[in-house]
Amino acid sequence: MIDEKTAWDVIETALSTGADFAEIFAENNERNSVSVVNDHVERGNSGIDRGCGIRIINKEKVIYVYTNNMEYDSLIKIAKDGAMAVKGSHKQNAVSFNRLEYKNIHNISIMPDTVKKKRIVDFLMLGNNAATSYDSLITQTRLSYMDSVQNVLIANSEGLWAEDRRVRTRIAVSAVASDNNEKQTGYFGPGALQGFEFCENTDIEALAKEASRSAVTMLKADNCPSGKMPVVMDNGFGGVIFHEACGHGLEAAAISKKASVFTDMIGQKIASDKVTAIDDGTIPNSWGSINIDDEGTKARKNILIENGILKSYMVDRYNGSLIGMSSTGSSRRESYKHIPVSRMTNTYIAAGNDKKEDIIANTEFGLYAKYMGGGSVNPASGEFNFAVSEAYIIRNGRICEPVRGATLIGKGSEVLRNIDMVSDNVELAEGMCGASSGSIPVCVGQPMLRVNNITVGGRG
Amino acid sequence: MDIKNLKKILFEKALNEGFKDCEIFYSKGSSFSVSIYKGNIEKYRINENGGFCFRGLYNGNMGYYFSESTDIDADSVIENTKENAEIVTVEDKEFIYEGDKSYPSVNVYNSKIEEITAEQKIQSALNIEKYALAYDSRITVNSAMVASGESYVYISNTRGLEVSEKGNHILAYVEVMVSENNETKEKGDIWIGNDISDLDEKKLAESACNKALSALGASSVKSGSVKAIIENETFADILECFVGNFYAENVQKGFSLLKNKLDTAVASEAVSITDNPLMEGGYQTTAFDSEGVASRSKKIIDKGILKTYLYNLKSANIDGVKSTGNGFKGSFRTAVGTSFTNFYIEKGSNEIKDAISSIDYGVFINDVAGLHSGTNSISGDFSLAAEGFLIENGKLTRPVNQITIAGNFYEILKNIDIVCSDIKFNSSSVGSPSVYINNIEISGE
Repeated sequence: MIDEKTAWDVIETALSTGADFAEIFAENNERNSVSVVNDHVERGNSGIDRGCGIRIINKEKVIYVYTNNMEYDSLIKIAKDGAMAVKGSHKQNAVSFNRLEYKNIHNISIMPDTVKKKRIVDFLMLGNNAATSYDSLITQTRLSYMDSVQNVLIANSEGLWAEDRRVRTRIAVSAVASDNNEKQTGYFGPGALQGFEFCENTDIEALAKEASRSAVTMLKADNCPSGKMPVVMDNGFGGVIFHEACGHGLEAAAISKKASVFTDMIGQKIASDKVTAIDDGTIPNSWGSINIDDEGTKARKNILIENGILKSYMVDRYNGSLIGMSSTGSSRRESYKHIPVSRMTNTYIAAGNDKKEDIIANTEFGLYAKYMGGGSVNPASGEFNFAVSEAYIIRNGRICEPVRGATLIGKGSEVLRNIDMVSDNVELAEGMCGASSGSIPVCVGQPMLRVNNITVGGRG
Repeated sequence: MDIKNLKKILFEKALNEGFKDCEIFYSKGSSFSVSIYKGNIEKYRINENGGFCFRGLYNGNMGYYFSESTDIDADSVIENTKENAEIVTVEDKEFIYEGDKSYPSVNVYNSKIEEITAEQKIQSALNIEKYALAYDSRITVNSAMVASGESYVYISNTRGLEVSEKGNHILAYVEVMVSENNETKEKGDIWIGNDISDLDEKKLAESACNKALSALGASSVKSGSVKAIIENETFADILECFVGNFYAENVQKGFSLLKNKLDTAVASEAVSITDNPLMEGGYQTTAFDSEGVASRSKKIIDKGILKTYLYNLKSANIDGVKSTGNGFKGSFRTAVGTSFTNFYIEKGSNEIKDAISSIDYGVFINDVAGLHSGTNSISGDFSLAAEGFLIENGKLTRPVNQITIAGNFYEILKNIDIVCSDIKFNSSSVGSPSVYINNIEISGE
């Protein structure tokens, strides 16, 4: 993408007015997508995103310039434009490049560019047919496929030269069930840091049937009741509760501005004894995994909370320098158009000792949230919300009738203390997470757990 | 490579390779932004960016390909476009449009914005931070930002269409935080325009401060169904989640419950909704859509009656009507879909204070969270984290938080009894006045 000579000249130009640090992030991202709607292939699309961002840091000031004109003169010009915003005392010398060696922990077996679109269509049609034939109440289906091969180069004034290739594949299945006046949707969107082998190893028919079953179940469900009650959240995407209630508040970008309820809390008890939480970017081929982060730091497994005690934040180099912590390999960005900041990778609550049967049996009245939708949080106040897409009432220790349309709300610092049972069946689920450095692939996860008291917002 | 040279090469190759018609859509933009934190520049950003989409009709199907770079192998563009066309099995036709006879003139470019220097923008952001800090000693400022941007769109095809448009804007944003008694509130406000003299730095700063300060000391309320007033911008945000139900392509594919509802009452008589791409000062004002169809204003709901869906060329052809000029792309990368422009509920004649004073017990909602997850755009169901104030005996009595509001969009439209006169647009250019809803489900304690 960029040769060493160009990179060196760009970094020297960026440092020319006295900045402390300069970095190049260049990328070439090739993508394909296919979508099938109601039995027909509606669209194939493909293309390339390519560009370069230059970050210049001088004390607490960050300058970011980017372009998709990768010619030498253009890169030197934007480096100069950026350097103009710095008035340093003396010029730092860049350190000559040293290639970062690391072991690729995410092997790819079928590269997307070797796969004919027809093969993707056949795969999606299997899902389309399974979803449609599940029940006569299924009236619409939508299936989509996307892949991306992102090649990155990260080079900086401290001599780093790091390259990585991230191959990702994701599918989405949604089924709509309708009667005269209503429509309900079932949805799944699994993905992996893999090529087409991800599709070959995915039972899309089972996934499509499950989406249809969920839609039909919700069509027949009553509205969810409102008020405070115990909620049992199942494994997998249930982990969105930790992601929203706590995860974002442990990102160094929020900590450095004291805009998180967890600021200055390391070593303190912030959750119940049952809670151990981990952010692990090294899980082989997991959707949220990385080899190196977007500043060229190797991915790590970070223990965030251990038995209720806050152990670590997720840290990028800039915010780390403000709070006196070193990078935890957590710096991420959607593309060269974004300034990297601390973000999550695969974040999950670790297995506990309770049995899932016991969790249900020990709940007299409450909500069983089988599948969760997305959510959001304000890290400063800790107030979060997330949606439940399939839920049931628990009565006398048994799962009873389905209910729909629930949102759960609360404050992160409170909900973590209210987790009173944690089972042992950890599972991860894939999603996209949006924040200041763009939309990035992450996994959330947890075993089945119970929050003994939380506000449930339904219409019933 | 210059886009017009690339166009020439691609068109020639495509027609030789058996494409019937083809088109190039090119867009580029540049922007500058500066963020202030504690009296110093924290972030300083400059960028220029662009890309093109090539699409063409091959054996009756439309194929697409995009690239951010115009230095690209033309053969691979044609080959990929062909493969993307070949897999399409949907029978509804897409069109390459020959263009309209004339296009409306819109005022979306102000040369004065180019004359504003970086120093002036830095000073303006510094002023915003200063005004916020001076407003109340409990305030801290997370970020004060001023940004400007310029955009250019060019569409040309083998049927003779060749149109372009240049626009620019300037925006200011501030995010403040206030902490008291172990409670922290974070609120922001944004201003977007194309004339810097319209920016009132002090007013923007104080508006964000007021939002944060007035939310302090909030607590929940009892669950139940109550009367509610949803403030203008908050209702615009909710409306935006459901705009897709007005798109003909969603109606045709069965993803909207507005099917077969034309010329019937879908909202209360107080509600009229317009989509107007020609609105003076609108953030989405444009002379043509991404298919080159000339813009025009449409009334979508007239006093509660659904009058039209929003169409692009493909969905209009299916229904045998004319495109409403709403065939837009999300970016140059995506295929043509449907999108609103400046989409709003028309203002009524009621003062908001009169609407509040008519309520014995209810809530005034001025913020919601979870819009991307707590709304089901197809069923219309929503359940959102909300905050605002309690209304008792016609007065706002105390701040409220940690509640949800739940309902169904289609039912809410019918339950709007009063539309106030205080119309405001959100940053996506969906607008609404504050509305009085006679029944909404609250979950709290």
